[in-house]
Amino acid sequence: MTIPKVRQHPEHLEWVGKSIPRVEDPKFLRGRGNYIDDYEVPNMLEVAVARSTMAHAKIASIDTSAAEAVPGVVAIVTSENVKDHVNPMPDFGPSPDKHTWHCLAVDKVRYMGEGVAVVAATSRAIAEDAAELIEVEYEPLEPLTDTLAALDDDAPLIHEALGSNVPFHRKFAFGDVDGDFAAADVIVRDTLHWGRSGGQPLETVGAVADYDAATGLLTIHVNSMSFTHFLFLLANTLRVPSNKLDLVPHPAGGSFGAKFFEVKTATIAGMMARVTGRPVKFMQDRLDNIANGDHHGSDRYYEAELAARSDGTMLSARFKVVDNYGAYIQFGVGQHGNSLAQAVGPYRMSSIGYDLTAVLTNKCQQGAYRGFGSEVGNWILERMVDLMATELDMDPVDIRRMNFIQPDQFPYFIPTGNVYDSGDYEAVLNKTMELSDYKGWRKRQAEMRAEGRHIGIGVCTCQERSVFSATEFWFWFDEPVAAPVTSAPESVTLKVDAMGAVTATLYSNASWGNSPETMVAQFVAEELGVEPDDVSVVYGSSNQGLPATGPGGSRFTIMVGGAVEVASQRIRSKAAKIAAHLLEANEDDLVWENGGFAVRGSPDRRKELAEISLAAHMFKHSLPEEIETGLEASHVQDHPYTTMPNPERTDLGVFYPFVGHASHVVVVEVDPETGRVDFLDYTAVHDCGTVVNPRSVGGQVIGGTVQGLGSTLFEEFLYDTDGVLRTPSFAEYLIPSAMDSPTLRVGHNETPSPYTPYGIKGGGEAGRMMAPSAICAAIDDALGIRIRRLPATPERIVEMVDAANG
Amino acid sequence: MKSPPFDYHRAGSAAEAAALLGELGFDARILAGGQSLVPLMNLRLAAPGHLVDITAAPDLAGVSANGSRLGVGAAARQRTVELHADTLAIAPILADAISNAGQVPVRHQGTVVGSLAHADPSAEMPAAFKAQGGSVTVRGAGGTREIPSEDFFEGYFTTPLEEGELVTAVTVDAWPAGTGHGFLEFGVTAESWPIALAAVLIHTSGGVIDRASVVLGGVAEVPLRRPEAEAVLVGAAPGAEVFAEAAEAAATGIEPLSDSFGSGAYRKKLARVLTRRALTTAAARAGGDA
Amino acid sequence: MSNHDISVTVNGTAASGSVESRRSLADFLRRDLGLVSVHFGCEQGACGACTVLVDGRSVRSCILFAVQADGAEIQTVESLAPGAQLHPLQEAFRRHQGLQCGFCTPGMLLRSLELINDNPNLSATEAREGISSNMCRCTGYQYIVDAVLDAAAEMRGEED
Repeated sequence: MTIPKVRQHPEHLEWVGKSIPRVEDPKFLRGRGNYIDDYEVPNMLEVAVARSTMAHAKIASIDTSAAEAVPGVVAIVTSENVKDHVNPMPDFGPSPDKHTWHCLAVDKVRYMGEGVAVVAATSRAIAEDAAELIEVEYEPLEPLTDTLAALDDDAPLIHEALGSNVPFHRKFAFGDVDGDFAAADVIVRDTLHWGRSGGQPLETVGAVADYDAATGLLTIHVNSMSFTHFLFLLANTLRVPSNKLDLVPHPAGGSFGAKFFEVKTATIAGMMARVTGRPVKFMQDRLDNIANGDHHGSDRYYEAELAARSDGTMLSARFKVVDNYGAYIQFGVGQHGNSLAQAVGPYRMSSIGYDLTAVLTNKCQQGAYRGFGSEVGNWILERMVDLMATELDMDPVDIRRMNFIQPDQFPYFIPTGNVYDSGDYEAVLNKTMELSDYKGWRKRQAEMRAEGRHIGIGVCTCQERSVFSATEFWFWFDEPVAAPVTSAPESVTLKVDAMGAVTATLYSNASWGNSPETMVAQFVAEELGVEPDDVSVVYGSSNQGLPATGPGGSRFTIMVGGAVEVASQRIRSKAAKIAAHLLEANEDDLVWENGGFAVRGSPDRRKELAEISLAAHMFKHSLPEEIETGLEASHVQDHPYTTMPNPERTDLGVFYPFVGHASHVVVVEVDPETGRVDFLDYTAVHDCGTVVNPRSVGGQVIGGTVQGLGSTLFEEFLYDTDGVLRTPSFAEYLIPSAMDSPTLRVGHNETPSPYTPYGIKGGGEAGRMMAPSAICAAIDDALGIRIRRLPATPERIVEMVDAANG
Repeated sequence: MKSPPFDYHRAGSAAEAAALLGELGFDARILAGGQSLVPLMNLRLAAPGHLVDITAAPDLAGVSANGSRLGVGAAARQRTVELHADTLAIAPILADAISNAGQVPVRHQGTVVGSLAHADPSAEMPAAFKAQGGSVTVRGAGGTREIPSEDFFEGYFTTPLEEGELVTAVTVDAWPAGTGHGFLEFGVTAESWPIALAAVLIHTSGGVIDRASVVLGGVAEVPLRRPEAEAVLVGAAPGAEVFAEAAEAAATGIEPLSDSFGSGAYRKKLARVLTRRALTTAAARAGGDA
Repeated sequence: MSNHDISVTVNGTAASGSVESRRSLADFLRRDLGLVSVHFGCEQGACGACTVLVDGRSVRSCILFAVQADGAEIQTVESLAPGAQLHPLQEAFRRHQGLQCGFCTPGMLLRSLELINDNPNLSATEAREGISSNMCRCTGYQYIVDAVLDAAAEMRGEED
């Protein structure tokens, strides 16, 4: 594919851009969300998973006799016989045969909390009673959790078949890195550590599986369904033909990535449904979700270098990264594609060095968390820009501004090969400065400091890439382990019924706290001239559906927007033929306006969509012969802009092309004695192109920012050196409350993308991709310290203050 | 996360509760609000065979004031006690402590006596109770006995209660006019468990502190009285310097353990800072600002 | 383990059932009575997704055994809008987009209702402090605070 054509966006939009109330809300407000745990079927069993109490150990034996004797227990599958029932999990890792992942531990446990047995019983309580009675004899192995220790020659091996703990290492150079560094006047270096946090949605992952032996159909209701074109892999795991597996989506009670292709829960439910011959529900509890949810976020150690001229002009950056993936590596190193998609940030730099090592340890494996690794890249780069500003004694705003890619430089290809479609970074920064009263705050800061208060101001200017291509999951390898997949579609079916009412069918688990139904309703309203509240949005199951990838990488709104756009064109095209016939006019003389076709120049001669649709459904013989009954259309929207990596991988191609931007200004007061951080002011200005529903985007920005605050200040899946998970529940894994959260001033700047419907760019992850950078800069500024490790907990802040004071 | 099975018993009076406990033996526990116990049961960290619910016992309900003493029955809810005029008059430090504990919906259900009997050394109410002083009334098969606050906390989640005994009420003794209190805790988030806390009272007379109580939470196996700090305060005039000195004394010699919320060293530091600040607040209140 | 016959009033209607002693009020309401607005987030009383009103007061129904609620009057979010019309509080949440995934919403609504009933003139700070008892992972709370304040004004009879 080459560069897609530049679009002319309509000047007037009726619905896109309006903060209409969300169409999904009435059911949620009534408590009728149809979440997965709300779904029950007669004769249903429930399961509980017995989890490993050891971080690293051989499983010597498992005794289930006491558990089996518990009244109500129907079946138990353990590590010892799980391979009799299922194949390994779908795995996009570097060498799945050498770090093989099953839904239960096999032969040995590799992290505390890994499943060792599943009990199906007549209630969840009974299943838990029985799970407690399962006796596992372990032969302890040396635990390994430390990132760098995993590289030691004598480190214990997590997967013996791999021969080391390094499933992936490669050094990339994009552009003339050495040349740029040689030309630099100043090079700043630092060691930085991003700690492991995760989405932790309030609703855990669940599945209800039902196997019909008569037809061989395995139906699984899930709150995690994406990549439906990959579900043949899950069918293989479950040992059913791919056309005999049907996943039915339910709205998710939050995801933030943590339900992105989460199929282990469905696998366990499906396996137990086949074993017992009865419907089975597996609803993770919070302990399962934290310890064994397969979706911890990035856990990275960086050695970073930034090269610049003495005037502040940035030239190049080099990153040596070691990423602690935990016990398995289900998505390969795809999270780093996210970093490389926007590796230079909003700044003109001509080269990037990236030396990436993935290590395996005795932690739960990583998955996706809002940003999918790009948030880490942003934080590292902004930390280094702040360090350069300090080194050159420059204002942190000035050094950013002078390095911005300029509006006339778009589309702008960055050294890694990805493109930034459009942007106006200075406009965003100016708006942020104004909205935050940055100058006023600098003045007040000086006054407050004179009173002995520790006030800090932090600024960041960061990118938000959106709409990933499939290439980022394999361009790491010369020879992709699996096929070099290039499809990442999203689909919709629009049906206009005989009454002119529109139903839109989606084919992924699209609802997870974003606003897919509102987005689709606004698009359909825009395209077909109906009211958004009158659009019915439903979800199709996988087996009867069209290929869909689902949300992730801030892709859904753009992709489904494209799908609705084309499907609507098809509807209108057919409707035009019918209208022309009914109006006895030439099709070329018809104009589409206000939800109907009129004859150009004769606005009285018109047919509404409802009239046309009634004819389409009911009056076959009044219409031209070639018109089929009905009025519906589907469209499979493929990725709008993907190009291939080059063979040398010095250019990764275009894989994340619609790139938004944001600037945050944070004012904090820090208590140096306790490490407490209070937010005095918070401003966030985002540019995600054309905004479909400003209030919804505002909500995403604020919510994402608060999650970023959590990752910055306290959220962490904390494992000690013995591999013990010290944060197993919500008593220890802390998420921000209302009293921990600032009130934001949110601004939007709109630089429409030239390549997407209406000019939309993704905006769902942005808050979390910016907040850590701005908050750290503010704390640094307040205390005269430098944060190098996240989360910067109160205790760590106090330690830094003490160290700075000698 | 479902509780293990148990037998539920409802006691109609303190006597009935005591009788049930005696009958059911070591495997029985009192269920009042359950806001500490039930989470532990859902986590399967506690699995009593029997629970004796005392919240329907009329003789265990209510808050009462008897001149200089505040009485709180074992079934009295935290939120009720927190907002009660008698608490605010006689033991405002207890009201402060309760307002810092858990969330309002938890305090609607939880009881003050339950929190004391749970004897978590990081919890708010035990520290406040120990700081102000008083006693608990314990009932068993052999009748009732009083245990002074000084003797009630023996170790992690451990009290002198014997098998078959329950706490029926707590009594908090008033301090004279001219008393100020300070209660401060520090947790990582607004709603998280405190890492450390300080509960202090001082009484001033003629510009001099003549009585002081300093208790730390989260730094030892019990809410920890700090006589070394009190010794610094008594006889001194309130002021920043003496408070700093007392805070230093409070934090010297303690050896808190580390956990996922904070290291021992950090707890020690917090103990000093919170004590100093709590004393400052207490002094302002003793001066009549409260 | 013991079983107990309990009788409660739920959303104005008498309900009874036989429950195992260990059955949480949340499970009783969800599974036995079909009131699926009562959500499980953590089952340890930390998140508030299971919040219901018992005798008019917000409690965590995941750490309350159903048998303990015998005789009580219980209100779940299903009671707010029995007909086609949403409750003014629900309308305010919708207007301000004080929800995203909707999972914390029933608990958040009931806690907000209690706050407004207790103090119809609550300030932004009081609203924020009040809802701090309940976790929301989506919104960052700001639009919830907006919604609570607006709902309070509307319930006071002030038109905007």
